[in-house]
Order: sequence, then C-alpha cells, then structure tokens
Amino acid sequence: MAGIEITNLKKSYEVEKREVPVLTGVNLKIPEKQITVILGRSGCGKTTLLRLTGGLEAADSGQIRYDGAHRTAFVFQEPRLMPWLTVRQNILFGLRGRERRENGAAADEIIRTVGLEGFETAYPSQLSGGMQQRNALARALAYRPSFIMMDEPFAALDYFTREQMQRELLRVQKTESCSILFVTHSIDEALLLGNRIVVLEKGKVKREYVPGEHGEERNLLDDRFIRLKREIIADLNEAGRG
Amino acid sequence: MSLVRRLLPPTAGVVVLLLVWYGICRMELFNAYVLPPPAKVFDSFRNMWISGEIFQDVYISVTRVFRGFAIAFVLAFGLGMFRAVFPAAGPYFEYLVQFFRNVPPLSLIPLLILWCGIGETTKTVIIVLASFFPMYLNIVKGFTGCDRKLLEVGNMFGYSRRETFFKIVLPYASADILVGMRIGLGYSWRAIIGAEMVAASAGLGHMILFAQQMSRTDKVIVGILVIGIVGCATDRLFGLAIGKLLKGNYENGWN
Repeated sequence: MAGIEITNLKKSYEVEKREVPVLTGVNLKIPEKQITVILGRSGCGKTTLLRLTGGLEAADSGQIRYDGAHRTAFVFQEPRLMPWLTVRQNILFGLRGRERRENGAAADEIIRTVGLEGFETAYPSQLSGGMQQRNALARALAYRPSFIMMDEPFAALDYFTREQMQRELLRVQKTESCSILFVTHSIDEALLLGNRIVVLEKGKVKREYVPGEHGEERNLLDDRFIRLKREIIADLNEAGRG
Repeated sequence: MSLVRRLLPPTAGVVVLLLVWYGICRMELFNAYVLPPPAKVFDSFRNMWISGEIFQDVYISVTRVFRGFAIAFVLAFGLGMFRAVFPAAGPYFEYLVQFFRNVPPLSLIPLLILWCGIGETTKTVIIVLASFFPMYLNIVKGFTGCDRKLLEVGNMFGYSRRETFFKIVLPYASADILVGMRIGLGYSWRAIIGAEMVAASAGLGHMILFAQQMSRTDKVIVGILVIGIVGCATDRLFGLAIGKLLKGNYENGWN
C-alpha cells in the first residue's frame, strides 16, 4: 500500500527536568489520496505524531517509512503567512528557482480552487481569518506535496466559516486528489472529513474507524454516523477514565 | 478641505507660540539681548539666507551626519548579523557593547581630539558612536526575535540557513531595523551639534557658539530653529520612506 507506514514510534519531551512520554509506540498505516484523521483529547500526542510524520521533529525511536518520494507541507492552526508578502507571493513561498517560474500558472489555478481570486495582491492583514487559512492551504497545495499535514487548521474559525472550509477542503481533496493527514479534537469534524479515523490515546493508537469513501456530503445526523459518534465518544471516555 | 484640516492644528500651535513670544517681547519683560523679538530673529535669518552662510552650515552638518550615520549602520548591521548567525559569539563582546553604550560620545571628545585631531575624523567618530548603539540593539532584537512559527514554515519547505535568513529573518526584522535607524538618526543629529560646539570651525553647532561669542542671541535662535526644522524634516522623510517600504506590514506607527 502506497502511503506512510509508522512502526513503534516513540517520543518524549523533557519538562521541568522530568521525562514526559508523549508517544509510546505508535503503529499506523496512512494511505495516500485519502483524508486520514487523527482524533484524540488534548495532550494525547496527536500534534507530536503529525510533526514527527511531517519531519518537523525527530523521533526518539521507531520508524517512519515513506513510500516513494515524500514531500510534506503543513497547514497549522494559525495561518502563519508572511505578513510582508501578498496572497500570491505567500502561495509561491515554498517554490524556488525553476519550480517557481514554471508554476506561475498553476498558482492562478490554486487561487481559484481556494476561492481567493481578486485578492492576489492583498496582504494577509487585509484578509479575514478564513481567507488567511485558505491562503495557507493554497500555499501547501502549490508546493505539490505528497502529503499535507493539517494541525487543527480550522479550530480558530467561527462555526460558519469552519463548516464552509470543511466543505471546501473535501472539494479540493477530490479535485486535486491529495493525501491529507488531519489532526483534530472535534469528533464531528473527524466524521465529516475522514476516510479513516484514528483514535489516539496516551501516545498509542487505540482504535481505527473507516467511514469509507465520500459519496454525497455526509449527513452527521444519519443513523450510521450517530452510532459511530457514540462509539468514538465511548472510546474517548474510557481513555479519560483509564 | 482635508488638507486644510490636517495642517490647521500644527499651524495653530506654531502661531500661538509666536504670539506668546511676541507678546513677551512687546511687554519688555526681558532685555532684547536675552530674548530678541521674532522680527529681529527673522531679519537675521533672512540676511543669513541671502548671504548663503546658513546653507553652508546646514550642508556641512548634514553631510557629517549622513557620513557618520552610514558608517554606523554598516557596522551595526554587520555586527548584528554576526550576533544573529553565531549566537555563541555574543557573550564575548556583549559586555563591551554595553560598556560603550553607556559612555556618552561627548565625553570622549578630549581623547578623540588627541587621537584624531580636530578634523572631520573626530566628528565622524562621534556620530558613529552616537548612532551605532540604538541601531545595533534594534537590529539584534529584530534578528533574534523572529517568530519561531514563521521559521518553521521555512523549515517545512526545506529552506537552507541562507534562504531562511534572507526570506524570513531579514524581512521580519525590517521593522525593528528601521526603528533603530530612525532613533540612530536622531541621536547622530544631536551628537553632531554638540561636537561642533566643542571642536569645529563650521557647521550649525559652531555657528551657534560663534554667535554667542559675538553676543548675537538672534543668530543663536536662528541656529536652534534651523536645527529643529532640519531634524524634523529628515525624520519626516525617513518616516515616509519607511511607510512605503513596510507597506504590507501590520500597522507600523510611523505616520
């Protein structure tokens, strides 16, 4: 299976001279061209797992095996745009030299995909929160990554903007058929977006759910999803008690 | 209309000050030698303008300021960059920098005259000493205070150290660098007047001291006014240039 294979991944941090284990042996297969959601409570190690997988930090032990060429881009909780660059320049920020020259036209396409046409020459400070986050997503897309790592990218947005962004992400994922690893603590978001949901608990994978392909837009009030949500809540409650 | 509205308050302030000055002179509260009336000061100013001597002094002072300021900027930028690229080297010279920062450049004049004579070198060194520190401190602050979150973005795109510096750290620091430059410019302007009063044969500082010795209080006041106006004008021009440079950046508080 093409994608990322993680075996026995471990990582701990030193806090106040005390070793705090964050990941205690994660085994996981992340398929390509799908949205894999990592779900868990605060402090369960989901962001750490994402950062290790994306190569922003090194693991203590264990293995991350990438199938084929790997090139990852991140979308963080904050947009992290360069305030001195315009929307377009921010989108091209990850591309250099020849890549940058050749992808000019592709950038216009991506600007349309994320719905920022007409704002190419605006600066981040002139954009709303949702538009800034779309700009960050566009920057990740323009990089042509094999995987996009998303760390609660919509957590800081209001309810309506978040819903809209989730729908757009699904649409973009379909048109660009990109591979996404998505971290969230929201069960609804996980159910709405995930082709595969991984529940993380105390630095280990507790369970995996496979809601499957996206056909129509998912209705979370559907029996199937309500059942799934109950199961996940039970899982997480157990994790909280244990 | 908006231009009038914008210019009205500052103009009103100046007019009130002139009226108070005029009123005090009119009431003859002070001797005309101690406080010459506005008309007399204006008269001297006109004479100095016509004879061209005021331009010569302004030209000399301004040239000195810009020469010293440019040298100080190059030094401060170089050392600041060195400090940012090799943080481990910081402790070796940080205390020396702090030491010299606390020594007023004017107190070094006796030594500087001894070492460099009373020529241009002494004045240049004084300006460099006056404007180096605010620039250096702001440049270091800008370079070392770069947002880690933005650095991580460069990291994720596989930026080299060089690319990170030129594409993230330097633009991020530009606001701080420009603040340092503006403060440095103000400092060097003050320092040059002081230096010219102690050791010079031309320039605005010298002109004021010479006028004092000739008992020409009116010329002293002309000198003070010109210093203030030229200082404000350079600062304003600098502010405008910064406004253009930082166009995309957050509110920068310059204008």
